[in-house]
Amino acid sequence: MRDLFRFFFRQRNNLLFLALMALSMYLLINGNMHQRAQAISSSNAVIGQLYSVRNEVAEYAGLREVNRRLAAALAAERNLRYSLPLRADSAPPDTDSTGLQTYRFITAHVINGTVHKERNYITLGSGSLAGIRPDMGVIGMDGLVGIVREVSPHFALVTSVLGNEFRTSVRLKRTGHFGLLTWDTGDPAAASLTDVANHVPVSPGDTVVTGGNDGIFPPDIMVGTVTNVDDDPSSNFHGIKVHLSEDLSRAAYVHVVSDLLKAERDTLQAKVAQP
Amino acid sequence: MIATILNQVLAFVALVLMQAMVLDHLDLANGWVVPYLYVFFLIALPFNTPPWATLLLGFALGMAMDFFTSTPGMHASACTLMAFVRLLMLRLLAPRDGYDPLKRPIVAHMGMAWYITFASALILAHHLWLFFVEVYRFDNFPSTFLRAVMSAAATLLLCLLAQALTTRATRLQ
Repeated sequence: MRDLFRFFFRQRNNLLFLALMALSMYLLINGNMHQRAQAISSSNAVIGQLYSVRNEVAEYAGLREVNRRLAAALAAERNLRYSLPLRADSAPPDTDSTGLQTYRFITAHVINGTVHKERNYITLGSGSLAGIRPDMGVIGMDGLVGIVREVSPHFALVTSVLGNEFRTSVRLKRTGHFGLLTWDTGDPAAASLTDVANHVPVSPGDTVVTGGNDGIFPPDIMVGTVTNVDDDPSSNFHGIKVHLSEDLSRAAYVHVVSDLLKAERDTLQAKVAQP
Repeated sequence: MIATILNQVLAFVALVLMQAMVLDHLDLANGWVVPYLYVFFLIALPFNTPPWATLLLGFALGMAMDFFTSTPGMHASACTLMAFVRLLMLRLLAPRDGYDPLKRPIVAHMGMAWYITFASALILAHHLWLFFVEVYRFDNFPSTFLRAVMSAAATLLLCLLAQALTTRATRLQ
């Protein structure tokens, strides 16, 4: 028994190392796989405040560009509104066939974000008090930004498009074929489009928009343009590279998409899923 | 003793804030170089820091970074490993008659060759672990490896620069 104690005492530093390593590996696996480590995240109050202060300082540098982009986005919105009566074939994109509003857009301020890591996250300066919930889509002025992962009362943490865990269903606007958008390029401006079969005609310059069938993003939101189609003869699918239209390193204001019919649709689908 | 501890606490807070507020937002070489200067805290701990304290401080430093980057365990594991490597390297590089208690592990006290050997071993252990845990897989091994090594070089450079700029640190205490 005394030998055992002596062994433990002599090995105390190695044992401490193993214990701390085990603890951090536990956090790593639990926190990232089950996305459950609420306390350890930049959406918690103290860190959120610090990032807000930092952002307040850093924001001035980009104000001119932000203004220009907001003005451009407003103009585009106005153009759309005034051109609608001329387009009898389509309803406004945020209403369903009965004219009911199906999506609500919540404006949020980006207070922190990275683009050069393997998995990037964005912190928003609005949270559950503003109506933001986990699993809502986030879109910028020019395109896709990410999906809300965690919320606290005043902040929200968003899984950016730029991350190897991000996947969403998108559509080639010209042909209507669906594919899966993933980020495996390491380049903050480019993503990959997979699961588009070889027989689909794709050429550089084609527009990629959201599919709208996942209940996260509305349909026909701009994602990017095809830059490169690289076909591997042994594969049945195209290898497509997409230039992302949203510059995530500059996103300052974003819209969080609240799907107003999500609860109704989920209830209906849950009825079928039950045995 | 009290002054040393106070200095260490200040260095800890300053380095973590500097990392989270400034360095993490740099976009160098299109994301290929991400310097993690905050590990300088662990490199520069006094020689007579007890091993258990080194390990606990490593873990705490990593956790502090994890709070900012929302990556529970990622920096913590990298820094714990780095603290362990520090204990090994201190034993490996020890002078024949032990470390002079008046000296600290900085260039001015230990010389450039000693410092680069010591610091680069620690930084490489930290960066390699961190970058591979970050990608969570071993495909495209060469690119992750290259990213880690290039970033480690940048971190080492910043560590040297930080010491060159703080003249106070060169004086023997």
